Amino acid sequence: MSTVREFQPRPKLPPRAPAPLPAPERRPFRDNPRLILAGIALLLVSLAVIIRVSDRTTQLNPDFLSEVVLYALSIVDVTMLLALGFVLARNVIKLVVERRRGLPFSRFRLKLVAALLGLTIVPSVLVLLAGSELIRQTTTRWFSQPVSDVLTSANAIAGTFYRDREDAVAGQASRLSAGVPAQALLSGDLDALKASVSGPVMDGRVGMVEIYRLQPAEGGKMDVVPVVALQSPSLPSGHLRASSDRLAAKIAAGSRDTRAHEPLDGGGELVRAGVVTRDGSGKPIGIVIASDFLSGDLAQHARRIAEAYEDYSQLRVLKGPLEGVYLSLFVMMTLMILVSATWLGLYLAKRITRPVGMLAAGAREIGAGHLDHRIEPETRDEFGSLVEAFNAMAGELATSQRRLERTRIEMERKNSELDERRRYIETVLERIATGVVSIGPDGRISTINAAAVRLLDVDPGIVGAPAEQLLGREDLLPLGALVRSVTAGSAKPAAQEIALAREGREIHLAAAATALQGDAGAHEGTVLVFDDVTPLVRTQRIAAWRDVARRLAHEIKNPLTPIQLCAERLGRHFGGAPEPTRALVEECTTTIVGEVESLKTLVDEFAQFARMPAPRAVPCNLNAVLTDTLALYNGLFSQIQMDRRFAPALPPVRLDVEQIRRVVINLVDNAIEAMGGLQAGPRPGGELPRITIETQHDAGNAVARVVISDNGPGVPPADREKLFMPYYSTKGRGSGLGLAIVRRIVAEHGGSIEVGDNVPQGSRFVIELPC
Amino acid sequence: MSFRRTSRNVVLGAAAWVVAGATVLAVAGQTIQVTPLAREGRVMVSFHLSDGFPVDVTDAIHSGLTTTFAYDVEIKRSAAFWFDRTVAAATVSASVKYDTLTRTFSVSRSYDGRMDRADSTENEDVVHDFLTRFDRLPLFSSAGLEPSVEYYLRVRAQTTPHTSWALWSLWDRHDVAGVAKFTYIP
Repeated sequence: MSTVREFQPRPKLPPRAPAPLPAPERRPFRDNPRLILAGIALLLVSLAVIIRVSDRTTQLNPDFLSEVVLYALSIVDVTMLLALGFVLARNVIKLVVERRRGLPFSRFRLKLVAALLGLTIVPSVLVLLAGSELIRQTTTRWFSQPVSDVLTSANAIAGTFYRDREDAVAGQASRLSAGVPAQALLSGDLDALKASVSGPVMDGRVGMVEIYRLQPAEGGKMDVVPVVALQSPSLPSGHLRASSDRLAAKIAAGSRDTRAHEPLDGGGELVRAGVVTRDGSGKPIGIVIASDFLSGDLAQHARRIAEAYEDYSQLRVLKGPLEGVYLSLFVMMTLMILVSATWLGLYLAKRITRPVGMLAAGAREIGAGHLDHRIEPETRDEFGSLVEAFNAMAGELATSQRRLERTRIEMERKNSELDERRRYIETVLERIATGVVSIGPDGRISTINAAAVRLLDVDPGIVGAPAEQLLGREDLLPLGALVRSVTAGSAKPAAQEIALAREGREIHLAAAATALQGDAGAHEGTVLVFDDVTPLVRTQRIAAWRDVARRLAHEIKNPLTPIQLCAERLGRHFGGAPEPTRALVEECTTTIVGEVESLKTLVDEFAQFARMPAPRAVPCNLNAVLTDTLALYNGLFSQIQMDRRFAPALPPVRLDVEQIRRVVINLVDNAIEAMGGLQAGPRPGGELPRITIETQHDAGNAVARVVISDNGPGVPPADREKLFMPYYSTKGRGSGLGLAIVRRIVAEHGGSIEVGDNVPQGSRFVIELPC
Repeated sequence: MSFRRTSRNVVLGAAAWVVAGATVLAVAGQTIQVTPLAREGRVMVSFHLSDGFPVDVTDAIHSGLTTTFAYDVEIKRSAAFWFDRTVAAATVSASVKYDTLTRTFSVSRSYDGRMDRADSTENEDVVHDFLTRFDRLPLFSSAGLEPSVEYYLRVRAQTTPHTSWALWSLWDRHDVAGVAKFTYIP
């Protein structure tokens, strides 16, 4: 029976819910081109600012230069140096750790960073050294001795000129002061005062004369009171009297600074000088301040000379901070280059190793069977193309793998079905009563089922052995000839009934051999199939015997009665005959009648054998039936021990009680008779004659077993099969139908009966009845 | 810091800058004598910066640069386990501007940013005293002082513009400091 299953389509999975989108991951700086561009732009702006600052360094306020710019640059330098050191230390430690851990690309990253640093640090330091030397030389040139001499001399000339003018004005002030009448000053006689100083003013020797009177004030101080101010017509306007007042007050306070300069709005400046006027006793009574005008061009040139000298001097004083600024700028640029190179190295290393590392990790994931693993392309360059190709490859692998998986599942299902079918066929082959032996094209036994093992009486381990080893056996030669007849080229199956002797019994096999041929007609082996047809043959024989018995009963019994009557009539007829004749006749007729009676009995038994009715089976307690039957022998054969071993939980058995009783009686009678009946004596081993009747229940085969064994002489193996044939008897008397009838009764109950040896001696009849 | 030394120090690195800065500061050798006086509800402060005119400062003044002597004056109270507490603080500045043409020094003083006085002189000694000697400046009120408690008056000076540079002046840019302890007795 085939158990091919219908293909079950895969159950459809519910539609997959859309996976929640992951939160957009913020791209790190190194992977964000906009940020990188912004960083580069910031760097360029910083460089431009640095260049601009360095260009205007000399124009910066000295305080701002030395207090802000220099320190700001220094802080930036130190910060960048620390940052560079930190970044380098961190990455070096990280790279070393990665290398020790054996992480991929750590060597490459280390080499790349080292190479870039090496490529940049040497030229950067060289540029820094060269730049520093250039600064030093340049600043040294700024302060060359000729320039210094020229500026110092020019400034000295201008200062001398100023000093001369101041001295001239101071001389005029002294002369004017000496001419001021003390009385007029004290009394406030303005006309007299003007007259005393008008001469030099009018002729232009002095630009302006101002006379102050000193008046005692609180605390011993002296107040200055302006009295007269006389101005030359040629003196430009725009001067302030406050300047003269401050100088007068300063002189009055005792200051030795008696000179002052007042820049005028229209250009030029006034040179003032003051002198204390004293009375005859030497007591200061007033102050005379004389002023002279320095023309604009003259003052301007002198001032320019002084400014140039001051600028030069200040530059020389600020040489240190200036050099510091320039040096800091150079250091900053060098550090920027180094930081940039370091960062660029790390960036490049990451840009290169990260996709490759991701590819390697992805390859490992794919290798581990995670075919759904994908790599997020981060760039659109060659690495991006590589990542996309990797993803495409992974996708195709996943598709192929799913296809293979489906194929594998289908193959497994088919294999499972085939396996089931194979097991089913093997089970059928193992369970069927037909023997099957397959022989491969190499002449070796491929398979042999249990029935074949049992029927051919071979070892199951013969599989793989040459077939000739089995079929060359003497009792199996007919089978060998059958197999050879098909393997010799006959495509048609060969069938033959073969009789084999097995343990003294003759078994009949209906054997058929078929040659297996492939599609191309090649010989692929032979299958030998054989059935045990012994029961069939036996039944056929019994049926034949029954027919013979019936015919015998019919053909023989009919003439027996006339024969008997004729014999009796002859006896009565010759009853009155002479004695010898009468005796002869009587003897003959008595013999005839006796033999006819014997023939009648024989014919009756045959008739009974032929007319045996079908059993009327009803569920019965087999043990009870046996107990009742064996009770008939109680007290009859005391020298024979009769053991009963009944199975306690024997299920009801459908049987015809009378027929089964006949079976049991027949077998027990045979056993008693085999052991000598009433004359039975101890057995050769000293044992008592014993008959054992036992029942067994074989739940696995659903049979109830009745075993009747004795320790008599037993049945020779050669006689065992014939024992159940009609008209066969080992006793030399009787009809020989007893065991034939027993077998027929048992067979009509659906059971079987076998005879074998009892251990250690005797015979053993086993009856199996379905229950 | 000399130019040549700077070039060499660039090669050696920033650590050398610190050494160079230390050398510059060690040359200064300036001191401040501080004298506090509590009277009439105020704390009068007198201090004098000695050797306040090293060559670089004199050169800076003579170059016409406006040179400022800034003094940070603080009254502080010592603390055992923490930074000393600042009770009062003031800033005194004195500036000088030299006119190389007229050879005149213009000087001015200010207290906490308020201009106090200005003058001009041709006498450099006067300028020196004007910039470095301060007598009985009534900078602080004694109202915030606790009686019979020891305080100390700290005056730190710095001259600007700096004509030299040291790395550790990033931390403390004062050139010199002077301290005087006093116990406030009302």
